[in-house]
Amino acid sequence: MDIKEKFTKVIKANEGLIYKITTLYTDGTQDRKDLYQEIVYQLWKSFDTYKEQSKLSTWMYRVALNTAIFHLKQTKKRVDTIPFELEMERMTEEGDNAGEERIKILYEHIQHLNLLEKGIILLYLEGKSHEEIAEIVGISTSNVGTKISRIKEKLKSQIKNNDNYGT
Amino acid sequence: MELEELKSAWGELDKRVKKQDILNRQIIEKMTKDQYQNNLKKIALPEYAGTIICYLGAAYLSVNIPKIEEPLIQFFGAITIALLLILPIISLQSVRAVRKANPSSYTYLEAIQVFGKQKIKFQKLQKLNVSLGLFLMVIGIPVLAEIQGKDLSQFPLFWTLYFPIGVAFFLGFAYWVLNYYNKALTATEKMLGEING
Repeated sequence: MDIKEKFTKVIKANEGLIYKITTLYTDGTQDRKDLYQEIVYQLWKSFDTYKEQSKLSTWMYRVALNTAIFHLKQTKKRVDTIPFELEMERMTEEGDNAGEERIKILYEHIQHLNLLEKGIILLYLEGKSHEEIAEIVGISTSNVGTKISRIKEKLKSQIKNNDNYGT
Repeated sequence: MELEELKSAWGELDKRVKKQDILNRQIIEKMTKDQYQNNLKKIALPEYAGTIICYLGAAYLSVNIPKIEEPLIQFFGAITIALLLILPIISLQSVRAVRKANPSSYTYLEAIQVFGKQKIKFQKLQKLNVSLGLFLMVIGIPVLAEIQGKDLSQFPLFWTLYFPIGVAFFLGFAYWVLNYYNKALTATEKMLGEING
């Protein structure tokens, strides 16, 4: 299998991860597409230097999340994007409405977290172990546990307040 | 609504993205090539256009500076040329530093810290640019007038009306821009404080 084929396989297997990160770290479809392409590009750039010292998913999360951070800095300049569909609405067509509504509410509340908390909760929701989160984020495993508890409390109170205002 | 409940709904998103089949080999390959072009475009156009304008201005002043006789105006002319040459370099370097950052060489926390520090540096530089731009305008007017052989004292309203209005306009503009950057700076410093705290 040549390197391009291998890379395509890896990206295809993880497109959900890229989609979620782009949705969390951008606020418009055009910007989302630009970040999507930038993540694929950055992953490609470092793919041949990726050494299998860490898990493939750890490397992918790290590059994708860090690319999202550096993308924040750039001013919104119009660039060409490859025509591809990347709409939240399209994802919802076949989903169940209640579950989708929950995800949307969760996305909204995660937007209020700071960048560190945002990254940690994303990894937590992705089902990553505390050890893997620690490796990707660069903090100690015990600190991951503390931070996750705090974020959970923060999100719970945000969602609770929202429910109170909504009713 | 419990966070644990959301974990499974979150996982469902993966399946739906797969169903939509967003990517294929051609799109992935095109993304890796086109994004390289995009990144070059992002760096090239606006920053280089500004640099070229500044350098053209510096070249015009350099050619015409021998026409200036008054030593003070000559001194102003030299400062103007120096500013026109130096400012774009500082600006380009600060923008490039951010874009050169290699996402695979940092942990997530390090990336946030590098991002925050670069953002603060960039915002401070923008503040400096606005202040120096105003200074450039003030000292540039007599230099240009002298080069074009116009005696500003012959325009009675220049110093008493037009110049003060121009300065007031630019001060207002500078205040607005600096205020924007001060707010952005405070927000970045707060973000870094929260992360490091």
